[in-house]
Amino acid sequence: MAEPAWTEQPPLARLIEAGRPVASADPPGVRLTVRAPRRLVQVMARRGGFRATVDAARGLFGSPPPSRPEAVFTADATLVWSGPGQFLVLDHAEPIDDPAAALRTAFAGTASVVDQSHGRVEIEVAGRQARAMLAKLCSLDLAAPAFAVGAAAATSIDHTNVTLWREPDDSDGPVFRFLVFSTFAESLWHLFTASAAEFGAAKGLR
Amino acid sequence: MADLVGTTGVQRRAAEAATQADGQAAAQPRRLAAGGLIDRASPLRFTFDGRPLTGFAGDTLASALLASGVKLVGRSFKYHRPRGILSAGSEEPNALVELRSGARREPNSKATTVELFDGLSALSQNRWPSLSFDVGSVNSLFSPLFVAGFYYKTFMWPGALWERLYEPAIRRAAGLGRASGLADPDTYEKAWAHCDVLVVGSGPAGLSAALAAGRAGARVILCEDDWRLGGRLLSDPAEIDGRRGLDWADAALAELASLDQVTIMPRTAVFGVYDGGTYGALQRVGDHLPVPPEHQPRQRLWRIVARRCVVCAGAVERPIVFPGNDRPGVMLASAVRTYIGRFAVLPARRTVVFTSNDDGWRTVEAISAAGGEVAAVVDPRGSVPARFEAGSRGVPVIAGVVAAVEGGSGGVRGVTVRTADGRLRVGAGCLAVSGGFNPNVGLASGFRGRPGWRDDIAAFVPSGGPPGLRSAGAANGTFGLAAALREGHAAGTEAAAECGATGHPGEPATAADEALAITPLWHVAGAGKAFVDFQHDVTASDIALASQEGFDSVEHLKRYTTLGMATDQGRTSNVNGLAILAAGRGRSMLETGTTIYRPPQVPVAIGAFAGHHRDEHFHATRLPPSHHWAAERGAAFVDVGLWKRAQWFPLPGETDWLQSATREVRAVRSSVGFCDVSTLGKIEVCGPDAGTFLDRVYINTFSSLPVGRARYGIMLREDGMVMDDGTTSRLAEDHYFVTTTTAKAGPVMQHLEFCRQVLWPELDVQLASATDQWAQFSIAGPRTRDLLVLLADPGEDLSGEGFPFMGARAVRLRGGLPARLFRISFSGELAFELAVPARFGEALARNLMELGAGLGVVPYGTEALGIMRIEKGHVAGPELNGTTTAGDLGFARMMSTKKDFVGRVMAARPELIRPDRPVVVGIRPVDPARRLRAGAHILPKGAVPGPDTDQGYVTSACFSPTLERWIGLGLVSHGRERHGETVRAFDPLRGEDYEATLCDPVFYDPDGGRQRG
Repeated sequence: MAEPAWTEQPPLARLIEAGRPVASADPPGVRLTVRAPRRLVQVMARRGGFRATVDAARGLFGSPPPSRPEAVFTADATLVWSGPGQFLVLDHAEPIDDPAAALRTAFAGTASVVDQSHGRVEIEVAGRQARAMLAKLCSLDLAAPAFAVGAAAATSIDHTNVTLWREPDDSDGPVFRFLVFSTFAESLWHLFTASAAEFGAAKGLR
Repeated sequence: MADLVGTTGVQRRAAEAATQADGQAAAQPRRLAAGGLIDRASPLRFTFDGRPLTGFAGDTLASALLASGVKLVGRSFKYHRPRGILSAGSEEPNALVELRSGARREPNSKATTVELFDGLSALSQNRWPSLSFDVGSVNSLFSPLFVAGFYYKTFMWPGALWERLYEPAIRRAAGLGRASGLADPDTYEKAWAHCDVLVVGSGPAGLSAALAAGRAGARVILCEDDWRLGGRLLSDPAEIDGRRGLDWADAALAELASLDQVTIMPRTAVFGVYDGGTYGALQRVGDHLPVPPEHQPRQRLWRIVARRCVVCAGAVERPIVFPGNDRPGVMLASAVRTYIGRFAVLPARRTVVFTSNDDGWRTVEAISAAGGEVAAVVDPRGSVPARFEAGSRGVPVIAGVVAAVEGGSGGVRGVTVRTADGRLRVGAGCLAVSGGFNPNVGLASGFRGRPGWRDDIAAFVPSGGPPGLRSAGAANGTFGLAAALREGHAAGTEAAAECGATGHPGEPATAADEALAITPLWHVAGAGKAFVDFQHDVTASDIALASQEGFDSVEHLKRYTTLGMATDQGRTSNVNGLAILAAGRGRSMLETGTTIYRPPQVPVAIGAFAGHHRDEHFHATRLPPSHHWAAERGAAFVDVGLWKRAQWFPLPGETDWLQSATREVRAVRSSVGFCDVSTLGKIEVCGPDAGTFLDRVYINTFSSLPVGRARYGIMLREDGMVMDDGTTSRLAEDHYFVTTTTAKAGPVMQHLEFCRQVLWPELDVQLASATDQWAQFSIAGPRTRDLLVLLADPGEDLSGEGFPFMGARAVRLRGGLPARLFRISFSGELAFELAVPARFGEALARNLMELGAGLGVVPYGTEALGIMRIEKGHVAGPELNGTTTAGDLGFARMMSTKKDFVGRVMAARPELIRPDRPVVVGIRPVDPARRLRAGAHILPKGAVPGPDTDQGYVTSACFSPTLERWIGLGLVSHGRERHGETVRAFDPLRGEDYEATLCDPVFYDPDGGRQRG
């Protein structure tokens, strides 16, 4: 009997090279990168359990989780605020076998833990013109002082919920990361590439 | 009448010499030899009504037309009167043209704001067969018919003729320009910007405000409608800080450009102010180019979020209303100066200036300085203002008013001046008119603000205004250059300080002080049409008539006469109209008031508002995990909300959706099939109080549900109507998994969050949307278990005992993949829903096809899904339509009486429990060959159709492959007691009328043996 083959479909694989042509610029004004899937777990403190959740998270990650719209970068993980009393854990733990199990144990009794590893696609927008491009989709003020490194937000793009935060700058300028709902990802990717077209865009998977 | 003022030989020679630009003289007879902000080294070719003409880089279409000696540019809206160019800006009511051709044809472009480019083609509008010979101008002969409110008066009766005859005829005769009728080939964008201080306008006040705010360290955005910054400094000679005005402006711009926090946006019109300090602005990215560059939008719609706004949008000169004031060659005096100073075009050799204020005298100076001849200055005040004595020496001054204009489509030939002593004629090719200035108070009067009135300048000025907005310079009624510079600087300084900027704003620039003296003159009565609104052909007598007929509130006047309702929004006409109304009624301007100012202040194309959201990108789309696999198999897709769902999977040779869907149903009922149901909303409900929480949102009880089991649930809205249904499973003591319908996933999540956060904050419950996390497939049919055992880990017990109907638990699949399995059925067959992490959804579809090949497995789409649920009598969207109660749907007994839940009290309202409410019932046509259609009304047999006999309607209908006939569900009064009754199905929309039988809604396997098997 044939064994089922479980080929994981990488996010946006079909669209990274396809899609609308963009202007050529060297270096490209915008770099759009689909990040390889990571473990993504939503941690929601139980009623009155935020302090205990913070303690448990500190024990796990070495840093307290964000308690306001921020991203916390630890040695192994990024913790992103996702609402009052809740945050997302992004790291590289083994993704296939109930990714949330270990965290569920660690937060037992203090927080509810839901696996979202397949529920979101992580997209990075970087480059000199990243802000000019994002101004076309995002109503937030992403300028340096208003949205510092480590700032995070839960907002709406194209009437779709997204979570975004600012990573440390690279040599080419600011770096923003977006978590978008997986089923909206292709539609948003189109909007991202269309908005980046005039600046020249490098598209890739990493 | 005598030709009072002759042309002196000296002046004539000067004018001729001035217009002889080498080689261009013939082509551009009105172009001055020197001066202006045009590039004579960059000639541009363009056509007007097919006639080849030339201009220079830096020209507008209007300035190039005037340079070429073109006076007649268009025909008016109603009377088809010949019209020329009145202004030099966005207030232009007359010179509207069609630009470009083909799909890019753009009607109603203002020639005065169109940047000339090489190859531009422009056509005049509203004329047939040609501009100079226009058949429609016969309307002028019937003008007594076209008075204020004539549509309302003339075409009152008979009403039936309105739609068929009057309206099409009026639309043909009137209207402005023609839309291309083709899809717009260009792209548009929307964007956001953020700043501390938004400065609107880049004249002396705007530059001063931007400089002060920028120097202080504020984040500044400076928007300028024009492509070149400087405002009136581009047109009028001035001295600022001891330098030429233009040089000062260039230095200011250079300084602004050097400030990191300052963004300069030319070609950007701020069109409105909205809540929270948000300003709408339209940036014309590519309008000045024949075709926008690749990857560039044509226009970009900005939403600028500004903590403070300084409006330095200047003022618009207003015409004077006198007979013949619309003739080509009658121009605003300041526009004449702009054409001379900025574009090096002298509109005519001989000009008469008609002014009620000092500013008109600047035009006298400008014309003389350019070598033109001022044939006379008509100023009712009668004397030369002291400041202008030197500059207007030798110019005849007449104390009087212009009472008539001579000339038609060929342009002005002369004017008749009425003085205390009588009338005299002055020959001239241009009449420059100044009736004073209207500050641009539109933005400042947003949020239903009302401007104030200042008698000293005879103008409406900002009064109050939206929060955070202030005006400065001419926009604030401050007309003197020195005062405008000071006021702009002060406004910029204050705005920046209010945003916390602490830097030094520098010193305000200085200039000579000057004041504007004006004796308002609104209307010169006399024989002949005197126009108030040029674009809508509203005359002074229309306003008098409207007032006489009782339409003397400004809002009524506007609607009745259409004053100010054209594309220029009455920028040259409103105040004059109000003044004539006020004078007629003996009221002050303030008592008369203005109409409400509403955005947009300038026309904005719908395309700009749409941005990227057009065609297939009109809205975001959601793709279920198996989408690309389904597309590979040639599935037909249907839009379900934002989702694209596979509707059916045609096989070669199948030509019809019904054929494919019928095959899919038969395959499921006889063997096994599967369908991607990932679109159902999925919500993880966690926490110790999850069960209590669900008891309160569902009509039935979930706290008693054992772990490992699923239950069907219904939730109500507060008003007692059904909101949604779905199955909820208990995966752990403190963990439930709720599914919603596809359509209501978002609203249900919102509802649950509202309940959790607002209604019962004391409950310890957490919610997470997991719709995107799981690829969930329904696998249905008698061979389902045979297929599942090939997929599931051999350790999983899928037998009837090991996995009973409504069982739910986490399982492991062969190859180690974790999954969730639910034994629930929507089809009436033995069925499971299998959920795997979403990125394995495509693999699951492929595995099901491969492993099930021997079983004859089929993928099925939403059509087969819908057919099977109707056969089984399951309610769905058409029945859960927001007007039905749980009782209507047959779930009255599910409503727990032992607990409270959302909607319980309101569901008991008498109207919601009336025994004759339409309830769900099955329906089948008496003739088994007849097609049943949703929407057909149900009446008692033999009843006459009407509201009194209507008893309900068919909600869902399908061809049942199992029963081989059309069947349906309906909502019918007393339906449950009427099984077996023959009724009349009446469908006037489709012209159908037939007999049908009411029956049990469960057409298939009524005792449920198959799904429990």
